[in-house]
Amino acid sequence: MLELDDIHVFLKRTYVLKGISLFVRRGEIVALIGANGAGKSTTLAAISGLRRPRQGRMVFRPEPGGPELDLTKAPAEEIVAAGLSHCPEGRQIFSQLTVKENLRIGAYLRRDQEAVGKDLDWVCRLFPVLAERLGQRAGTLSGGEQMMLAIGRALMSRPKLLLMDEPSLGLAPLIVEQIFEILARLNREGVTLLLVEQNAQLALELAQRAYVLETGRMTLTGTGKELAGNELVQRAYLGAV
Amino acid sequence: MSAYVLEQVFNGLILGSMYALVAIGFSMIYGIVRLINFAHGDIVMVGAFVTLALIAVPGLPFPLIALLVMAAGLILGVLIERAAFRPMRGAPQVTGFIASLAVSILMQNLGVLILTAQPRNFMLPEYLQTIFHLGPLTVRAIDLAILIASVVLMAVLVLMVKRTRLGIAMRATAENIDAARLMGININRVIMFAFAIGSSLAGMAGLMWGGKFGQIDPLLGFVPGLKAFVAAVIGGVGSIPGAMLGGYLLGLAEVLFVGLLPPIYSAYRDAFVFGTLILILLILPNGLLGRSVEERA
Repeated sequence: MLELDDIHVFLKRTYVLKGISLFVRRGEIVALIGANGAGKSTTLAAISGLRRPRQGRMVFRPEPGGPELDLTKAPAEEIVAAGLSHCPEGRQIFSQLTVKENLRIGAYLRRDQEAVGKDLDWVCRLFPVLAERLGQRAGTLSGGEQMMLAIGRALMSRPKLLLMDEPSLGLAPLIVEQIFEILARLNREGVTLLLVEQNAQLALELAQRAYVLETGRMTLTGTGKELAGNELVQRAYLGAV
Repeated sequence: MSAYVLEQVFNGLILGSMYALVAIGFSMIYGIVRLINFAHGDIVMVGAFVTLALIAVPGLPFPLIALLVMAAGLILGVLIERAAFRPMRGAPQVTGFIASLAVSILMQNLGVLILTAQPRNFMLPEYLQTIFHLGPLTVRAIDLAILIASVVLMAVLVLMVKRTRLGIAMRATAENIDAARLMGININRVIMFAFAIGSSLAGMAGLMWGGKFGQIDPLLGFVPGLKAFVAAVIGGVGSIPGAMLGGYLLGLAEVLFVGLLPPIYSAYRDAFVFGTLILILLILPNGLLGRSVEERA
């Protein structure tokens, strides 16, 4: 569904991604783990069209057997329209807008107003706290609620592939658990997930497959279980001694 | 209140309306692209001259002229954005600022070259010059029209920004460009619309400026541009309601300063205006309605 082949990205003059290759199959949850500054978020930004790779091939195929979208060239709005949604690091909700406006703007490119209304109800059922706060400014929400809003907003475009950046960042363990449950549920309902996470343990539990990114290079890949059992991963990311 | 004071207040509101219309453009554009567009005032000048040219066309009804002037401002704003600012997207803020100064100087000098620096009389249709009495007030039809048209335009704008899809997209873009792009918002289009809307209002302000003062010249954009910039800063640059508030406050303050103090002080009106600006910024560094926006990483 998603394929990256030897992607190189520079941020200003810094060489951040030094030839990343990965793929995501339909229906999977794939985790991308690694330390701070390894290039995880940059990888997602490259996929969603916010940062252009200097070199490499990167394609997205929303429908099986359907046409491919060249992610190295397509503008960000075309990528969203094709069914790829990116829930950015640090939530980045629009704090001056109301909760409802945030959700509506997630469906910015959609013209099927009736279905958008239904999806709004769906997101509200998924995150009942949001339903109670639709008219409130998003900036007044708590961190966990903002994370839920960010996910809800990303879902409003009806993505086939969801890029999730650090859903556990700065949240209480109980909330994190709740959010990971929702992610698992979304996956069962047919949303493919590419998950960037610093909390490797959580990520490897949820994901079927995972990649380990170290200073701009992929160093390891395998199933979630394999990596969780890998000695290097244990030592570097799971806190084993 | 005496009729004199009332009249001064009315005059202040008219001047304030024009400042507000221009200030909105400053604020909208700054809010989205973080650009102080110093060429914005010169669109006022072009609006005034387009009005003058259209008045000379026989049989053109004035409301239609007003619409055409707004259209002219809109087109000019979009062209300037395309030619001068889009190529510099992503450059440091200072670059855009200097580019806008260049555009401003270019427009003023083109104006002098084509139109000469000679001030021209701005002839309004008869019915807009009629003088009538509103209670104790003696007003010209054009003054009343300026006030009403400004309020209507601002109301439409506020509704648009609050309610429409484009309005929400503009607010989202003003807050976080990257997140807005992730929603599928075409940033270039939002920026284009901000220039289009702001510049059409500035064009309209040009028509009003000519109508109010009766004389226009190619350098007239400087004063309303600078004052409207001050108004936008007082209100909190980036905030549309702030720009409106700042515009009216500035207009009122200026007129009342000249009107109510002994005439020997009237030469200091600009000193007063900028003194007020400094004072307000000392107390409220973000302006009256501005918010402190932490810089994003």
